[in-house]
Amino acid sequence: MSDNFIIQTKDVQKHYNGGEIKALDGVNASVRRGEVVVVIGPSGSGKSTFLRCLNLLEVPTGGQILFEGTDITDKNANINLHRQKMGMVFQHFNLFPHMTILKNMTLAPMKLLNKSQSDAEAQARTLLERVGLGDRAGAYPSQLSGGQKQRIAIVRALCMDPEVMLFDEPTSALDPEMVGEVLEVMKELAREGMTMVVVTHEMGFAREMADRVIFMADGKIVEEGTPEEIFSAPKQPRTRDFLAKVL
Amino acid sequence: MRPSASQSWPLVAPDWIQNGPEWLNDFGYDVYKSFIFDDRYQMYIKGLGNTLLLTLLALLIGVALGVIVSLVRVSWDKNHTEMHGPGRFALGFFNAVAKVYLTVIRGTPMVVQLMIMYFVIFASSRNKVMVAALSFGINSGAYVAEIIRGGIMSIDAGQMEAGRSLGFGYVSTMRYIILPQAFKAVLPTLANEFIVLLKETAVAGYVGLTDITYAGNIIGGNCYDYLFPLLMSALIYLVLVMFFTFLVGKLERRLRSSER
Repeated sequence: MSDNFIIQTKDVQKHYNGGEIKALDGVNASVRRGEVVVVIGPSGSGKSTFLRCLNLLEVPTGGQILFEGTDITDKNANINLHRQKMGMVFQHFNLFPHMTILKNMTLAPMKLLNKSQSDAEAQARTLLERVGLGDRAGAYPSQLSGGQKQRIAIVRALCMDPEVMLFDEPTSALDPEMVGEVLEVMKELAREGMTMVVVTHEMGFAREMADRVIFMADGKIVEEGTPEEIFSAPKQPRTRDFLAKVL
Repeated sequence: MRPSASQSWPLVAPDWIQNGPEWLNDFGYDVYKSFIFDDRYQMYIKGLGNTLLLTLLALLIGVALGVIVSLVRVSWDKNHTEMHGPGRFALGFFNAVAKVYLTVIRGTPMVVQLMIMYFVIFASSRNKVMVAALSFGINSGAYVAEIIRGGIMSIDAGQMEAGRSLGFGYVSTMRYIILPQAFKAVLPTLANEFIVLLKETAVAGYVGLTDITYAGNIIGGNCYDYLFPLLMSALIYLVLVMFFTFLVGKLERRLRSSER
């Protein structure tokens, strides 16, 4: 049964130009509750496309995606309802520049979960304290550094109490000295048992925090396993080749 | 028989003007017949009021129309490849209507549209201000729609994705996240559209509406001398435009210094 799987993908395809370009070419993957899955691979391998398919920001051209047992690629599925339970963090943060940090965090819970303003703000302030930005509630995104913006983006997603968090290269747009503070928040989240799917180039994070590493290339999953299996004893030549370049 | 301006001028003119140099007497008489005789200044005031009312109403109609049309156009352009069934058909229909509207309105002269509205479509109505406001509003809406469409498209695609990833639908994301930013981005352009509209209403005289231009035109005809009346009309427009341009400049500085 799929009870302990929160996400399962079945032969997911993403083709452009009528099949000429295959960004995803039959991806079968699954994520268990509480698991941290890190997806690595060269650029153009389809790992971001794969992640964005999980909450249907990219609509697959074929295959199925089961979220909590429901096929969300089905035309009748209410994708907005499912997305409420799938938090997403983007490479370029995508905070709402016309709103304060507090408003960024309370907008969705108030409009979509019908939380009262006081409840939503109390939750937002608690989360801000936890990531060390309690004093920035009234600031606007433009007044924050990249690392601060990304930490806000993470807690903004957490305000919806998601079942799973999707990270799309969360540290790739950051200055090197700010990568650590964002990774620290992600590690804390992982330790608390949050289910996470992370697309990243941070091999250190993958090695330390991942329960399972997926290596993708050319729109396919080439190899998957524990960090030890992937980093210490990769079976596929393609994986070995990639790791030789990045490590 | 009422006295003419030339007959009453010697009776009302102060002595120091009448007995002064000839050019002063001529100037005084020109001012008198253009603005004072027969309370003619009241016509400029009425014209000013009508011009401002017309512009304001037209802008409100224009912005309302512009938002709707731009939303239909943007929604269709971005979503139609992924849509199915009756929703796609309805949006496609409205998109086609919007395209025809934009083409016709931007492809024909404002004066012709105004005359068709007044003499044909609303031939039974004598409410010149409302018919003209509607006509200018419909015209302005086409230009406002393209301004707002540009504003919406200038917002980073990541904003829509962020909204959708939180669980907002397309419409809610537009409403809470995209449109507020788009409006802020195009506000100075919209304000300039208001200034352009103000000057465009000068053709309202074609349907006999007393605006600033029409007032100058009629008074010029009444006193067989167009110089001062038309100069006055031009001056009123110039002062209005300079005033509103000043306000737009202030607005732009405010926006630039605020967050983002």
